[in-house]
Amino acid sequence: MQGANILLEPGVFPRLLQGLWVTIWIAAVSVALSVPVGLVCGWLMTLRNPVIRFVMRVYLDFIRIMPQLALLFIAYYGIARAWNWNLDATGACVLVFILWGGAELGDLTRGALQSIPEVQHETAYMLGLSNWQAFIHVILPQAVRRLLPGSVNLATRIVKTTSLAVLLGVVEVIKVGQQIIDANRFQYPTGTLWVYGVIFLMYFIVCWPLSLVAHALEKRWAND
Amino acid sequence: MTETTERTGRDDTIALKVTDLKKHYADAERNVFDGISFEVPKGKVLVIVGPSGSGKSTLLRAIAGLEPIQGGTIALDGTVIETGRPGNEKSGRVKRSEELRTKFGMVFQSYDLFPNKDVLGNITMAPLLVQKRKKDEVEREALELLERVHLADRAHAKPHELSGGQRQRVAICRALILHPEILLLDEITAALDPEMVHEVLEVVVELADAGQTMLIVTHEMSFARAIADRVILLADGRIEERSADAEEFFTHPKTERAREFLHSFDFVRHRDAQAERELREFDAQ
Ligand SMILES: Nc1ncnc2c1ncn2[C@@H]1O[C@H](COP(=O)(O)OP(=O)(O)O)[C@@H](O)[C@H]1O
Ligand SMILES: [Mg+2]
Repeated sequence: MQGANILLEPGVFPRLLQGLWVTIWIAAVSVALSVPVGLVCGWLMTLRNPVIRFVMRVYLDFIRIMPQLALLFIAYYGIARAWNWNLDATGACVLVFILWGGAELGDLTRGALQSIPEVQHETAYMLGLSNWQAFIHVILPQAVRRLLPGSVNLATRIVKTTSLAVLLGVVEVIKVGQQIIDANRFQYPTGTLWVYGVIFLMYFIVCWPLSLVAHALEKRWAND
Repeated sequence: MTETTERTGRDDTIALKVTDLKKHYADAERNVFDGISFEVPKGKVLVIVGPSGSGKSTLLRAIAGLEPIQGGTIALDGTVIETGRPGNEKSGRVKRSEELRTKFGMVFQSYDLFPNKDVLGNITMAPLLVQKRKKDEVEREALELLERVHLADRAHAKPHELSGGQRQRVAICRALILHPEILLLDEITAALDPEMVHEVLEVVVELADAGQTMLIVTHEMSFARAIADRVILLADGRIEERSADAEEFFTHPKTERAREFLHSFDFVRHRDAQAERELREFDAQ
């Protein structure tokens, strides 16, 4: 129980919260920007045009096959340096997570769009709606409902995967934890478990409300 | 669309005229229709009956523009709106102007209300978005229509809160608010529980009495007999019998094919008390 006192050291909690803030910031920006990217990708994936189909297929497969870590290294050490971009580690993370989230959300969107019964399209046509009006007022609202469970799951995965940012030197919550543990190694040899326990709780507190919201919405839309 | 269409110069008592219609599905061995013709006079009801697979839905869908046609013409109000051409099997829904599409009202067999909108939202969507009518005027008319189908109290219900019969009545209102030239009904009671069939068909009978032009596909023979001004028996994509006297068709069909077809229903009817009761109800009207 001695180790627990590491949490009471001055500055430990504020620093962990600062780290958590970096984590949340990366995750929130990534998720927020993944949504438009994903919706557009999903729409592109439903098109019949063979060139667009092929390009989207390659994009999705590439993102899926590559480990996120490899993508992060490519973005940070590869692309940013090669083209002389002024991309810092955080920026590289956000970029990779948007590409990843956009691809995965795109595939979810494609599935949701294609699961809407044909008769819904036909009814919209009979009522004189333009393709765009049918998409915005009929198809998309229904697709979003079907999309929700999968996308919350994806958002949760993005939050968790932000921990890889450590490896690019971003000081997010895991990194802060390591620093605290290192700095107190002699004073609190068993502090490790406690620090990581708190970090675990922090991830939980971020991700749990997401699934609560998703659950509530799912229930509300269950019969729609 | 109207610039490229020609006047046929026919009398203006005909709402819909289908001439030599040919329909072929991609990859299918033979044509569903190899040239069928008929017309629906204004204010009249044409009922199409026929065994399953005979092409009834395909016919309605082709008229509605949901399926491209490979030959023949479709004319609405004396104007040819579509001319078939071979080889367009895969081209999907026909490019029709928004205005032209609103002239055909369609109700499908499956429940097709938009689940993301309530009853009122379903009915008012097209008049607001497509016809750009004023909201209060559209809502007033929607409520009047709901009143007519005895659903005024369900205006704010979501589709999933309605029974199948109620959903179909809302779908009818949604089509009617656009004031279609012709209403296309494809077995709209086929998916309903028997006790709900009547409440839907009753509404359709009232529409017919009010002079709504309709093209109806149905397996409810007593209903067909009560509502039809004209009847067509479709079998294997051919018109086997047509009659301008529905009573005559149902009591004294001319062809062997029609006799057989009607007989198969007689058998069911005699055994089915529900159908008997409905027959009496419709006959009484
Ligand atoms: N999308 C389609 N592709 C190929 N064949 C079809 C398609 N829809 C219907 N058919 C065929 O066309 C024929 C007529 O079908 P349909 O119009 O649904 O008949 P009905 O409504 O009278 O039962 C059937 O032989 C059916 O198998
Ligand atoms: Mg059918």
